[in-house]
Amino acid sequence: MTTTPLPRARRRRRSPWPTVLGVLALVGLTATVAFGNLGKSLEYFVTPTEYLQQQAEYQGRPLRIGGLVKAVQYNPQTLDLKFNVTDGGATFPVQYRGAVSDLFKENQGVVVRGEFQGNTFHATELVVKHSEEYHVPKTQAELKDLLQKSESE
Amino acid sequence: MLNLISFQSSALGALGQLSLLAALAFTLGGTWLAAVGGLKADTRATEAARRAIWAVFALVSLGTLTLMVALLRDDFTVRYVAEHSMRASPTWVKVTSLWGALEGSILLWAWLLAGFALVLSLTLRRDALRPWALGAMFVSLLFFVGVCASIASPFTPLSQVPADGLGPNPALQNHWMMAVHPVLLYLGFVGLSVPFAYAVAALVTGRLSDHWVVVTRRWTLVAWAFLTAAIVAGGWWSYETLGWGGYWAWDPVENASFIPWLLTTAFLHSIQIQERRGLMRAWNVWLIVLAYASTVLGTFLNRSGIVQSVHAFAGGPVGPVFLGFLAFLLVAGIGLAAWRAPHLRDEADPPAPLSREGAFLAGNWLFLVFAVMVLVGTLFPTLVEAVQGRRDASVGPAFYNAFAIPLGLGLLLLMGVGPLLPWRRADGQSFWRALRPLLLAGLGAGLIAFAFGVRSLGVLGTVALGAYNLVGLGLLTVRAVRERSSGGRGGGFAALVREQPRRYGAYLAHIGLVVIALGIAFSGTYRQDAQTTLNVGAAPVRLLNETLALQGTRQDTKPYGRSAVARVLIDGRPFEARMNTYVQGGETAFPAPAVRYGLLGDTYLVVTAFDEQGKWASVRLIESPLVSWIWWGTLIVVLGAGLTLVTPRRATVRAPALRSAPATD
Repeated sequence: MTTTPLPRARRRRRSPWPTVLGVLALVGLTATVAFGNLGKSLEYFVTPTEYLQQQAEYQGRPLRIGGLVKAVQYNPQTLDLKFNVTDGGATFPVQYRGAVSDLFKENQGVVVRGEFQGNTFHATELVVKHSEEYHVPKTQAELKDLLQKSESE
Repeated sequence: MLNLISFQSSALGALGQLSLLAALAFTLGGTWLAAVGGLKADTRATEAARRAIWAVFALVSLGTLTLMVALLRDDFTVRYVAEHSMRASPTWVKVTSLWGALEGSILLWAWLLAGFALVLSLTLRRDALRPWALGAMFVSLLFFVGVCASIASPFTPLSQVPADGLGPNPALQNHWMMAVHPVLLYLGFVGLSVPFAYAVAALVTGRLSDHWVVVTRRWTLVAWAFLTAAIVAGGWWSYETLGWGGYWAWDPVENASFIPWLLTTAFLHSIQIQERRGLMRAWNVWLIVLAYASTVLGTFLNRSGIVQSVHAFAGGPVGPVFLGFLAFLLVAGIGLAAWRAPHLRDEADPPAPLSREGAFLAGNWLFLVFAVMVLVGTLFPTLVEAVQGRRDASVGPAFYNAFAIPLGLGLLLLMGVGPLLPWRRADGQSFWRALRPLLLAGLGAGLIAFAFGVRSLGVLGTVALGAYNLVGLGLLTVRAVRERSSGGRGGGFAALVREQPRRYGAYLAHIGLVVIALGIAFSGTYRQDAQTTLNVGAAPVRLLNETLALQGTRQDTKPYGRSAVARVLIDGRPFEARMNTYVQGGETAFPAPAVRYGLLGDTYLVVTAFDEQGKWASVRLIESPLVSWIWWGTLIVVLGAGLTLVTPRRATVRAPALRSAPATD
């Protein structure tokens, strides 16, 4: 062994309490900030059916809602978009302002971010999620998978 | 079943696979030799281990080169090429496909790791650390070369050879920056393996005197500079290609690169306390173990798909294997440190609060808390899913900003105080005298910003602390130049920098960070964003203090995809914003915004939708002030880091030490 003989373990010359308390205070502070804030800034991904079942909990909270697109009304000049999102079980109207690509068609899977005000979902963002390898169709497969699951439950 | 090599392999596939397997054999042998060299103090075994690294490097290089040739020659008998490349791609895309998907990126990682190991093997001193540092490096190599040669081999043969490949990831083709960012990032990550190896060696041998820290400072700085550049390059890529006008979204994988950066930055500061004062020995060991482990954690997050992310690659067996390696690193590192740390005796009492080391220590705590918070935010959704079984809860930017802004400001505050304080202990009065001009400058700058209409507390704080930092560094420099000339030594500032490149490099890096902080504060707070639809031939539209007119649209078609281009006049200046569609991407369009960079702000135009007949186009206009300060600031930081690596020139005449408080080093 090339290890050199080590000095004997350090004997504490002073009380370890200030350090321990300091660490505890920091951990506590971190935890408070983290969990206090996290509750508010958590954003859940729900399907229309899930929303219908737990409306009280999700009303007015930031949400992502996923489902299929129905009844699209889009005016490219004013950029006003209205459509319904459905998972077969429940359907909700969605409002959005912004440009929409050709991708956005009837029966397409979509994830919208925003919040419910009454029965209408006010979307701030249409999420085109880059999934694995950045291919979008995979996301739709995932979404359908999710929708099927929620239907069978 | 693993099908590592078969007679169906093409010549290139077989060559690549064999070279990786041979590299693995040399890695195993080298690990064994290093262990023998360490345990029996056998210098011949150590020497052999050192040479095994050369063989590993040569063989992994051969493997990487083989994959590159296969990509460039469109050899679709190699699975990786068939799955991630295609004939029609431009050459530069074929080259970047080498690291554009899982297997290739791990191969690049292994190759860079072997390269760093090679440099390490050439620079290691002949001391007791030598076999153990080599051994620790071999353990990292064992993992990465092992993964490359087995479960994530790019060379596994295909049962049927396709006529053309599936093509590269569309997002990789959208901007040349994707050629740069991953390589920089891996250089940063891999660079940390060397300080880690030294730390392990120091722990095992018990030679925790300060040699390892002195040696690793340079390695860490190089890795840190690459990591800094990589993070910002990723941000710039995001800015240039995602079309949202931002550069940082607290995406889990962005976080995964930021956590090692925070820990490494802390380490760079705390090792100076050990170098100077022989304190914080155990702390430094822990810090580098955690920093290295966090790079593996980042890769695990990136590759396992357990967190939702822009970067998430396929699941597969690679995720669990990385988790295993992470667990091994943490258990081994923590076990080793826990075994040895009680023997790490500091030479003196813990740092006094009002001293340079006190400021460094406080900064360390802030960096640590920052890293823990980012980690909590990143993993929290996964935790929620595991515990509550709820799918896909996510943590928004609001959570991160809530602590990132105060912590960032706290770090800026300490960054200004640090260089002002002397080592050991400051005398309160002289410290106050030195601090006063800085505080005045900060207050003044804050008031000026307020007068100009800045109302955001975060921005006001950043401006004030920016001025406070710059004035502090300026005063210290001016005082040093004056002292020098009054001490009868000429040469002025340039000579000063030549004699103390470390100090002035650090100053420069700090200035760069101030510039970046200002860029982030202003662009984050005062970004403006508006959307409209423009019609060809219609009257110009007024949007965000600009007038926009659509001149026309056109389609550019290439074998690998097509671009829809909108020509828009913004205040009379032409912009060409594109929307790119790639054959692999289906109908998904990747925006290529037209950005006019300016020192005070950028004008950023994205096309979001096109009319088939070319009569109209929907656009999004974003104006964000000072964005380019982030890019320029990073350049300054990297230059500063480079300057600290320059060997100092000895002063010609040693002047009697003029102790002028508190600007001492």
